[in-house]
Amino acid sequence: MPTTLLIWLIPLPPLLAFGLIVLWANRSPRVSTAVAVGGMALSWVFGLVVFAAAVGAEHLGAEPFASSIPWLPLGTEVLRIGILVDPLSAITLFFVVWTCLAIFVYSIGYSNFGKARDPQDRPGLPPHAGGVEPLYGRFFAFLSLFAFGMLTLVLSDNLLLLFIGWEIMGLCSYLLIGFWFGKESARKAMVKAFITTRVGDVFMLLGIAALYSFTGTLSFHEILRSPDTLNALAAAPSGVLGLSLAGLIGLLLFAGTVGKSAQFPLHVWLPDAMEGPTPVSAMIHAAAMVSAGIYLILRFFPLLTVGWHPGEPLTTTMLVISAVGAFTALFASTIAVAQNDIKRVLAYSTISQLGYMVAAVGIGAFVAAAFHLVTHAFFKALLFLGSGSVIHGMEHGLAASSKNAAQAMPGQGGPAGQSGAHAGHDHVDPQDMLNMGGLRRKMPWTFWTFLIGGLALAGFPIVTAGFWSKDEILSAAFGTHTLVFVLLALAALLTALYTARQIGMTFFGSPRSPAAEHAHESRPVMLAPLVLLSVFSIAAGWAGIHHEFPVIGGWIPNWFEEFVAGALAAHPEATAFALPPLLTSLVVSLGGLTLGFLIYRRLPRGAVDPLARWLGPVHTLLRNKYYVDELYAAVVVRPAYWFGETFVYAWTDRKVIDGVLHGAARLVLAVGAWLRHWIDLLIVNGFGDLVGGATKGAGRMFRVIQSGRVQAYLAAGLLFAGLMLSYMLLVRP
Amino acid sequence: MIPLSWYLLLAAALFCIGLYGVLGRRNAVAVLMGIELMLNAVNINLVAFWRYLTPTVIAGQAFAIIVFAVAASEAAVGLALIISIYRQRSTVIAEDIDLMKW
Amino acid sequence: MGLLDSHLLTWILFAPAIGAVLMLLLPADRPRLLRRAAFAFSLVPLALSIYLWIGYDPARAGYQFVEQVAWYVNIGSSYHVGVDGISVPMVLLTTLLTPLALLISWSVEERIRSYMALFLFLETGMLGVFLSLDLLLFFVFWEIGLVPMYFLINQWGSANRNYASFKFLIITMAGSLGLLLAIQLIGLTVGTFDLTTITRVWPTYAASLSVAGLPVNLPVETVKAIAFWAFVIAFAIKVPVWPFHTWLPDAHTEAPTAGSMILAGVLLKLGGYGFLRLVLPLYPQQASAFAGALAALAVLSIVLGAFGSWGQSDFKRLVAYSSVNHMGFVLLGVAAAARAYGTLSANDAIIAVNGAVLQMFNHGLSAAGMFLLVGVIYERTHTRELSAYRGLFPLAPVYGGILIFTAMASLGLPGLNGFISEYMVVQGTWPIFSAYTALAMIGLLITGAYILKAIGSVLHGPLNESWAGHKLEINRREVLAIAPLMVLMLSIGVWPMWILRVIEPTVMRLFG
Repeated sequence: MPTTLLIWLIPLPPLLAFGLIVLWANRSPRVSTAVAVGGMALSWVFGLVVFAAAVGAEHLGAEPFASSIPWLPLGTEVLRIGILVDPLSAITLFFVVWTCLAIFVYSIGYSNFGKARDPQDRPGLPPHAGGVEPLYGRFFAFLSLFAFGMLTLVLSDNLLLLFIGWEIMGLCSYLLIGFWFGKESARKAMVKAFITTRVGDVFMLLGIAALYSFTGTLSFHEILRSPDTLNALAAAPSGVLGLSLAGLIGLLLFAGTVGKSAQFPLHVWLPDAMEGPTPVSAMIHAAAMVSAGIYLILRFFPLLTVGWHPGEPLTTTMLVISAVGAFTALFASTIAVAQNDIKRVLAYSTISQLGYMVAAVGIGAFVAAAFHLVTHAFFKALLFLGSGSVIHGMEHGLAASSKNAAQAMPGQGGPAGQSGAHAGHDHVDPQDMLNMGGLRRKMPWTFWTFLIGGLALAGFPIVTAGFWSKDEILSAAFGTHTLVFVLLALAALLTALYTARQIGMTFFGSPRSPAAEHAHESRPVMLAPLVLLSVFSIAAGWAGIHHEFPVIGGWIPNWFEEFVAGALAAHPEATAFALPPLLTSLVVSLGGLTLGFLIYRRLPRGAVDPLARWLGPVHTLLRNKYYVDELYAAVVVRPAYWFGETFVYAWTDRKVIDGVLHGAARLVLAVGAWLRHWIDLLIVNGFGDLVGGATKGAGRMFRVIQSGRVQAYLAAGLLFAGLMLSYMLLVRP
Repeated sequence: MIPLSWYLLLAAALFCIGLYGVLGRRNAVAVLMGIELMLNAVNINLVAFWRYLTPTVIAGQAFAIIVFAVAASEAAVGLALIISIYRQRSTVIAEDIDLMKW
Repeated sequence: MGLLDSHLLTWILFAPAIGAVLMLLLPADRPRLLRRAAFAFSLVPLALSIYLWIGYDPARAGYQFVEQVAWYVNIGSSYHVGVDGISVPMVLLTTLLTPLALLISWSVEERIRSYMALFLFLETGMLGVFLSLDLLLFFVFWEIGLVPMYFLINQWGSANRNYASFKFLIITMAGSLGLLLAIQLIGLTVGTFDLTTITRVWPTYAASLSVAGLPVNLPVETVKAIAFWAFVIAFAIKVPVWPFHTWLPDAHTEAPTAGSMILAGVLLKLGGYGFLRLVLPLYPQQASAFAGALAALAVLSIVLGAFGSWGQSDFKRLVAYSSVNHMGFVLLGVAAAARAYGTLSANDAIIAVNGAVLQMFNHGLSAAGMFLLVGVIYERTHTRELSAYRGLFPLAPVYGGILIFTAMASLGLPGLNGFISEYMVVQGTWPIFSAYTALAMIGLLITGAYILKAIGSVLHGPLNESWAGHKLEINRREVLAIAPLMVLMLSIGVWPMWILRVIEPTVMRLFG
């Protein structure tokens, strides 16, 4: 089977799975699982085959696997859509299929497949520990659609198809974040996610329109691999803020990334997106959706960096991008330090790491950004799935401990005891790290895999993938832009700190709540993906070891660099190796880890976070995310809603426009009444009445002649005859 | 010969007396009598004109005969009407018979 | 077949009217018979228009299936009908939506016979507008369509139906006044009402205008501009364009479900069709000069329509305002094409108008679908307040899925039809009216907000115990009614070529 045909087939199995589940297999968890996981597995197989082919191909950047069909007539031309696999899409495809498959398998256990349905579970609310998810089929349907969207995006050969996959993922994230729509926080989060990313999307749409109208194409190969097109875009003025057309389009497309990859100021949706089930968080925030934003700017790297060469000062576009990225990286990591919810820490961590990648693109470090994208996908997915395992364990522990509590109070059996158990369920938050502790003994597999992931995130040297990719970014920043380097280094320090904090609070010390005491390890179907992802979290980095790295550089060729650099027409050279960034990296990573571990490894029950004590009001600011959400609500959301509800509808439409119409109607009625009164009634009717009245009066006047007396008539007749006679004889003979 | 004008004068006088009777008498029967006088005056006129102007044509005589017939029938009808009115309203005074008024 | 082929359009046009007359002959007290008969009658024009679609040849220039019969010879008006790539999709839309609307009307219990007959008469009125190639005929059918709609709203509508039907009728007729005067002006000046002749003669007409022998002491350009605005206002009221739109929320909300489906699905398209068929070809210079104003109004429709929709608490009114929002894109494409007249941006104009025509078709599908779904839930809950629903998804999952699907089509989710047309309008308008396009993006953003508000309030939301015992799920007949719409929405979204290959050649010839 030719490779291009196989590439066309990759996104289809999850799409078919979606259709099948929605239309048919909805009610049966077993069939839904089989269809969904089967579909994803097919995509996985095809994806790996294509990847192998891609790795083996020569000059894949210049001659990618490509195929297209005409799709949309646009004026005199027809827009073609199709597939394209070059080095960038190949490695993205690689991590997407692996992480998605892992998440699918994990979801089986997370949704409690095989367990009986708890009669108290309601569709739209999270199932109680031990009960199968009531809307099981729906979950896998949306996951499949999500996978379809991401695969479409990755394999697309043009910007429009990419946008289609982009938006489909937006829809799926909406539906999945709000999967438990019975919770108000989930409902708010789903809308927030959709709308916030849509802000970026509308800018992106403008960028697409602008790009097409200038170049007449949206195909990646035709635009990004053609120096003439790129130079023409760079030379054309856009009329906006003195930017060239390339700059404007670049920034518009980057706006899409700011939304989708949750960069400041559109980052607010991502932490709230934790409302969704954990596999969703893993999917959205590691494997797929946020990676799509980075993929976009990596894909458009030639456009964003047009006119720039390594060693030169950064262009305006690049400065904007790197500023946003670096700021976000530091900003989010400061917030993460103050969060107590295990998933929120990871959420802000994701935002921060994405900031790293964005900053890397901004400073022109294409390969480093791509590298970090790949490694981050693996270890972040691992961390999220691990946190899900922790939460599951905590929920089981919660159920077990409240059952114990209910049994300890025999007088309260029956419904009262049940409600008591559930009341307890609601009060203790299984996701709050302050309630955890000592879980490494209760959940060893989860612990070790989570540790690996956390160390990767913190950039623990050599044995974790995160180290290699982060180090490359820091090296690139060091050589290019000092401020960015400093910001990223600080962010790295905080990353290590909050990671160690998280691991310490969750797994070390002793259990701080009954739930933690009774927690137990998760099912194998949930642990297997964790193990798989930890393998990648360790080993993935070794594909990209700099060849000048002390001691071990050169043992393994820097395959990643060579392969991915081929994606760009202008093959970037590997940055020269420098010692300071490496040392900085080691210091911040190990230092942060040690510091965090020391503070948090033995947090007693009911303790206040030490950082809160030391930082005081600053900590409050951090914990409340710098009140950005509140600011948006007050400045953007509420005024906008007021505008819609009050200004547009109540005032403009109902009072002004309808007022004009009603006023016109009243005017017409008044004119009509006036006409009726003065003209109809008075003149027209009056005239008629006058005629009648006059006639009557005349009649009344004349009728006296009719006296009834014959002699009078005769006399009158005689008189008249006499007059007639005299007239005829005398006047007119 | 007696001049024509004498006959005409006579007829005119009779006519006027008759007219006075019609217009001025109270009793309805007297009115009828006045009408008879008027008709006879017309007859005299007719015969006089016939005798003096066109003696050979019979039209004048014929007209006079017709007038006789009309006068007679009209008197009969008129009296019958008066009797009917008298039976209804117990009066023969013309002024009081004024039902056909406004 | 010969008789059919040579008079296909007349058959399509009058088949509903014949059906209506036949309906009036049926006994009034047999509901099942009446409903089925009406549905059967409405399938006839549908079958014919599918036949038309198959028989239409996009590659041939000019109007096809043309028929012309003398009518008012003395003033130059004839019964002249024909189709091209813009009207064929509209005919298909009309004949498709009417049977579906009738299928949804099973719950109407009173005076069923009159109801069904009125619907079929309405279908003739609407088809007449799309098919006629004679200005007077156009106007006749334009006005004919108003009367059945008035009665449908007035007799079978909701609480405020008197006000709403009256407002609808009077405002539309007020706009038509100017239209009639302008049509008379054109007809008397050119000497005929035939559209093909007028399209050739009128745009370049520069002699001093004498109207019916009376010299009009205004320069020709001024008179043309006045006539242009008369046309524009009449169509702008129908589309509807802000600020002439306030009749729409009332009319849509108070109309019965099927009435809203047809009102939003087809009647609004009469306005857009008027712009494309009459305004742009007959007044190219004026349209170009005033294109900025049109674009500004379009953007205001898009943005304020979206905001107005977002601020609603009544489900049906929310969907009604969404029509203002979506039809704004049609006008935006028209404005772009107007501005591009005579310039080098012809290709962009073509894209924009393609998008506008497709947007009309797509909006017809998605708006009809949304109103259908509103009607489904209204029949079961007897309320339209969003706050009264909440959390209905577990109680009606099939309905919920269909609602999400249709709402996403309305939102313009890529993969479904709305995105294609909105993208094309944006793509075509961006080079011509960059600032307006950028402002229209605000509308797109708020579109997301109100669609999510609708879905959220109805399906998600705190799980509502008050509906627990009710039977809320959509039934098979209603699914059958919305299924064709869903299939079309998906197919256009995934493979738009099948409809664009009909629209595109005509647009290219008209605006290239």
